[in-house]
Amino acid sequence: MFKQFTENISGHQAYLLFSLAIFLVFFIVVSIVLFRIRKPHVDHMSQLPLSDNQIDSTNS
Amino acid sequence: MQPEKFYYDNKIVRNFGIATVIWGIIGMTVGLIAAIQLFHPGANMNNQYTTFGRIRPLHTNAVIFAFVGNAIFMGVYYSLQRLLKARMFSDALSKIHFWGWQLIIVSAVITLPLGLTTSHEYAELEWPIDIAITIIWVVFGINMFGTIFKRRERHLYVAIWFYIATFVTIAVLHIVNSFELPVSAFKSYMVYAGVQDALVQWWYGHNAVAFFLTTPYLGMMYYFLPKMANRPVYSYKLSILHFWALIFIYIWAGPHHLLYTTLPGWAQSLGVAFSIMLIAPSWGGMINGLLTLRGAWDKVRDDVILKFMVVALTAYGMATFEGPMLSLKQVNSIAHFSDWIIAHVHVGALGWNGFLTFGILYWLIPRIYKTELFSKKLASFHFWIGTLGIIFYAVPMYWAGFTQSLMLKEFTPEGMLKYPNFLETTLQILPMHIMRSVGGAMYLLGVIVMAYNLTKTALQGNLLADEPAQAMPLEPLHAVAREASWHRRLERKPIQLMIAALVVILIGTFIELMPTLTISSNIPTIASVKPYTSLELQGRDLYIREGCSNCHSQTVRPFRSETERYGEYSKAGEFVYDHPFLWGSKRTGPDLAREGSKYGNAWHYNHLMDPRLMSPGSIMPGYDWLLTQPLDTTTTKAKINAMRTLGVPYPVGYENQANADLDKQAKAIAADLAKDHIKVKSNKEVIAIIAYLQRLGMDIKANKTANK
Repeated sequence: MFKQFTENISGHQAYLLFSLAIFLVFFIVVSIVLFRIRKPHVDHMSQLPLSDNQIDSTNS
Repeated sequence: MQPEKFYYDNKIVRNFGIATVIWGIIGMTVGLIAAIQLFHPGANMNNQYTTFGRIRPLHTNAVIFAFVGNAIFMGVYYSLQRLLKARMFSDALSKIHFWGWQLIIVSAVITLPLGLTTSHEYAELEWPIDIAITIIWVVFGINMFGTIFKRRERHLYVAIWFYIATFVTIAVLHIVNSFELPVSAFKSYMVYAGVQDALVQWWYGHNAVAFFLTTPYLGMMYYFLPKMANRPVYSYKLSILHFWALIFIYIWAGPHHLLYTTLPGWAQSLGVAFSIMLIAPSWGGMINGLLTLRGAWDKVRDDVILKFMVVALTAYGMATFEGPMLSLKQVNSIAHFSDWIIAHVHVGALGWNGFLTFGILYWLIPRIYKTELFSKKLASFHFWIGTLGIIFYAVPMYWAGFTQSLMLKEFTPEGMLKYPNFLETTLQILPMHIMRSVGGAMYLLGVIVMAYNLTKTALQGNLLADEPAQAMPLEPLHAVAREASWHRRLERKPIQLMIAALVVILIGTFIELMPTLTISSNIPTIASVKPYTSLELQGRDLYIREGCSNCHSQTVRPFRSETERYGEYSKAGEFVYDHPFLWGSKRTGPDLAREGSKYGNAWHYNHLMDPRLMSPGSIMPGYDWLLTQPLDTTTTKAKINAMRTLGVPYPVGYENQANADLDKQAKAIAADLAKDHIKVKSNKEVIAIIAYLQRLGMDIKANKTANK
């Protein structure tokens, strides 16, 4: 079935490959960023909606 | 350091909440009236101001910008203050934003039924209102960034990123799709023409869905769902991935609205490829939302608010899976122009936007009124009748879409169209249209019950207009150790974050729009295509005023079923003088791209007076006011001048003889009608619209005749 889709856009494979490349590059960059984020920071951020009336004494 | 005391502004949140409920009821009621007209055309009360072509844009504008718009501001003003531990930047700006937005909606309610429209879907409002929208949007932006700057929490939670991306992208979309040349106080022509106009419009149209109906709601989901479930979001890292991937990919997908049209093939392919990729971030977000409820699923059984949220997320998941599927060319060839698309958008609008809004209202109103919800039973009733309403709406529309599309494509063994008369396929789906309006009415009933329930809740409580809170002030940055991760640094720099989001959305925008807008070889010209005569131009503006393009497309796709039915498939060069393009997005009636000379003038006259005279059973409304209203020819000169400014090659000085030309052509049509014993003065509007309809597609036909 997939062959049918690619054949139907024949002559435009370059655009498919180009868009796939952009997607992959973007995805990889964001993934690297994500792996570099430290856990305490993630915990702090995800607690933000739940702590809007608590006073955070270490407000940095 | 001592904690600082301050107050959250709940009153502005409440005001936007009231507005969303009131406009929601109005917008959905208008939708219901429009839906009834699709099986009972007399439901327009024989009145031009309540006829489908004019109130369908009113319905879409009311639910998108009034119902959803006010809900966004309600959610943003509530969550932004709390996530930043600061009151809104300026109470005055909040008020200007609120009242300005309501005034814009009121102006839409007045101008759209009057037929003052640009015809660009979801951007129908004319140029003075476009300017007002820009100003109020900037007010919102200043208020939001002002709040961000005086915050007491260093890092911006992911919900706020979604709000920032919404602000900056809607600004870009609105400005680029509003390049219009004013002709008079409430009439303008789009600067782009034909294919280019279509591309800009659907780049806008698609991303209005992305950045008005999706990103702000995802921001609200990331704030309110953890509050409701009382647990943090399943994965904060996934939410970051969700954010960047979603805003980056969404902006490319617009051309999937123009598959098989004359848009350059490479742009169509690019649009399809990115549409498929969109599944990844969309489902990442949905899964992140649903998994936030991990360990809390027992609560979903009792808590009606969580029920609304679960259905909202499920509808989001269904709509964002279906969207990429619809962008596959094979699927699109069946679904496009059909009721399938109506089903698709309503799963999103009723399920995702509607139910998320209701969930937040039920959660938020009792909190700011310091009381309990008046009736959980009524809320539960709302949930069930709303859910059933969505099903009763969507299922018949899917059914109608498949049925009609397949009928239109069916050939007999002899190779003839099995249903050569378009109307046959329409009559087949009328029962589905009736059921759809029942579903819509059920959904609307639920909203009315909610309005009652929330009003009672508010009456039994007291609005805590200024909610006291306290937080530590931010330490100066030099006192904070330099953060290792640049992304973490970005999270405390709102302007840089906005610029990063802007760059991300502009990449796709430039790669897709620029070649089509600048390289002329993408739109091959056709020598026989000539500008409209002055009468045809006036007729075209009546076609726009009456909203004909809401039901009739003007683009023949290269399928045998369409070339057999309508004639030669459309070419890019045919539309070079079309400011704006009028391809439409739905075929409630047949395509009109090749309508010229298909029928006589008398047929059109009688058909416009009462469509059922010529096509028994037709669901098209009668346009008898066109028969009596005189054509306003005082605008002709300004229109010709404006068109010439936009590059349409009217000879210099033509504007001075345009009305004489117009009279001559009108008299010829009136004389032709007189032969068929139709007595009509040549200055009536119907003459202009007949002239325009008879012109459609004739440039190509003329070319053929000349070459023979």
